[in-house]
Amino acid sequence: MDILEKLEVLGAAAKYDVSCASSGSKREKHFGIGSTFSAGICHSWTDDGRCISLLKVLFTNECIFDCAYCINRKSNDIKRATFTPQEIADLTINFYKRNYIEGLFLSSAIKNSPDWTMEMLFRTVWLLRYKYQFNGYIHVKAIPYASLDLIRKTGFLADRMSVNIELPSEKSLKLLCPNKTKESILKPMEFITKVAEEEKNFVAAGQSTQMIIGATDDSDYKIINLSQHLYKKFKLKRVYYSAYTPVNNDPRILKVESPPLLREHRLYQADWLIRVYNFSADELFKSKDENLDLEVDPKVMWALRNLDRFPVEVNRASYEQLIRVPGIGIKSARRIIKNRVFHSLEFDDLKKMGVVLKRAKYFITCNGKTFERFLIDLEPEKIKQKLTDKNSLQRPQQLSFFDREVFTSVITGEI
Amino acid sequence: MYKIFLYDGTFEGFMCAAFHIISEGIDKDSTIIVSKNEYQPMFIDNVREVQSDLKTFLEIRKEMIKKADNSVFKRIYYAFLSDTKDKEGYILRYLFYVLVHGKKIKYLYSDDIVNTVEKMAKNVSREIGKYMGLIRFCETDKGFLYAKFEPKNDIIKPIAYFFKNRLNEFYWVIHDVKRNKVAIYDRKKVQFLTCDNLKLKVTHQDEMFQMLWKNYFKAMAIEERKNLKLQQQNMPKRYWKYLLEKN
Ligand code: SF4
Repeated sequence: MDILEKLEVLGAAAKYDVSCASSGSKREKHFGIGSTFSAGICHSWTDDGRCISLLKVLFTNECIFDCAYCINRKSNDIKRATFTPQEIADLTINFYKRNYIEGLFLSSAIKNSPDWTMEMLFRTVWLLRYKYQFNGYIHVKAIPYASLDLIRKTGFLADRMSVNIELPSEKSLKLLCPNKTKESILKPMEFITKVAEEEKNFVAAGQSTQMIIGATDDSDYKIINLSQHLYKKFKLKRVYYSAYTPVNNDPRILKVESPPLLREHRLYQADWLIRVYNFSADELFKSKDENLDLEVDPKVMWALRNLDRFPVEVNRASYEQLIRVPGIGIKSARRIIKNRVFHSLEFDDLKKMGVVLKRAKYFITCNGKTFERFLIDLEPEKIKQKLTDKNSLQRPQQLSFFDREVFTSVITGEI
Repeated sequence: MYKIFLYDGTFEGFMCAAFHIISEGIDKDSTIIVSKNEYQPMFIDNVREVQSDLKTFLEIRKEMIKKADNSVFKRIYYAFLSDTKDKEGYILRYLFYVLVHGKKIKYLYSDDIVNTVEKMAKNVSREIGKYMGLIRFCETDKGFLYAKFEPKNDIIKPIAYFFKNRLNEFYWVIHDVKRNKVAIYDRKKVQFLTCDNLKLKVTHQDEMFQMLWKNYFKAMAIEERKNLKLQQQNMPKRYWKYLLEKN
């Protein structure tokens, strides 16, 4: 099989992995080719609107495991291919110097054995760093069950490593991944966290993971609660959520007609709230089986449930209070605090500072005044109705589609 | 009557003109700074040509950084690269503001001059950010990498310095087709020249990698998530002209 065909097969096989960011590396620079850029750089956008930053490929798609949701599972009859380390290194360098990419994202199915696979990933990265003196960004998967020593060696060469947690509960994992156990995922994850704390140039851009959304009946609470745990306990940099794209016809998987993209979007928003805004999963949800509201973003959802904390007086509220107001982000909250020292703020000033008044107006006062006279005594249901996107009201049965038209922020989830 | 200051079109030249206006106490509201090659003479004008002078430039630069900080100076520079009409007028007024308000200038969101300059700078910075990723090099028969682009703003300098760091091991040329400017890197330093007639041929090897990249780009899209609108939002059409994967 020639390299063109391999790249097609093994690129396509990697496309469902959503974690492709190239930001945040603080690895020391050596002589040689290239650099990393701490803010991350997108080099293109695919037809589905996702950013391409890294050459994202699988080393091989020949798998000895049989995970129900995975296109590469053993029992599927698909075209199989395996790269050599040399081929991937060559592709990476040549794509890099033409500025097609920012670096490499190397994942793999498990061929022969976990150690064989991990060894191949290590060799690829080793070639890049030592033979080619490549300084660009490299993200490598740690393979479940692979020896910790191999993972350790690889981690010193990579900017980021990740083990995919795949599913939000042990029960779901058992159901869909008979070959993997909770330990096979958490053990390497914990190991990477530990080494990264002790050693300086070990996975300088941190660790991330990915979860599949919608293939099982796990609730959003469970998902976000798990993420919160991963951020706290394992100090993960990011948890990525991937709306399940139905690739296999398997009775163990929930029937989905199209990937639940809106739900994925809401999860990114909720994730953002716990990661950046100091919300906790328990605050966002009432019960363990609860799901996020698809009609409004999770900050609005939370605010409507806690109307007794509002309205907030913009000229006096603390930073913590401000960032919890729907429509006020980190940036605009900082601006408000810096600016109100000079003069007291009116609604017009807020707009210029980037506050989204369309949402914020129900929750704030400026010098005691509300945006419009009647706003203050609105009921939660009425506010919600006003804040709900028209499209979702008109066509509630098509929720999974409407995001195509109204989506503006993907992946980051910033609200 | 307006006093007209002519400068050579460079950032340094502009700042020197501004230096004279500020240090000689000339009324900014009856002053126009305009680039020599954009100036259409009228004989009633009171014209003065300012020479670009490194010492003067460094002096005013130091003064601005002292009064505010590096980030404000960078904003001034980026705003200068903007293709906004009469950018000189806005930036001149902004410089006066910096002298009065210092660092606080960053928080004067409601002022129109500050706002406009900030918008210009942001627009430039966004374009630079996009082109860091969207410029495509090809390998030429002359042994160097070559990339062309047509940016809205005049950003070849910051772009070239970005690639000086990134592609430090290669010889390359970046070409702003609209302005006929080239940046040439010889593995030591970057030089900026105007461009005459480049005749280049792409290597066979390069054609292969172009094809690999195009195929890869196609293979990465998930059909079930197709969203061309979102793609365009992130990567507006004006960037597509020299983008392999979009042609
Ligand atoms: S181990 Fe990985 S590649 Fe193999 S079937 Fe499971 S998810 Fe797919």
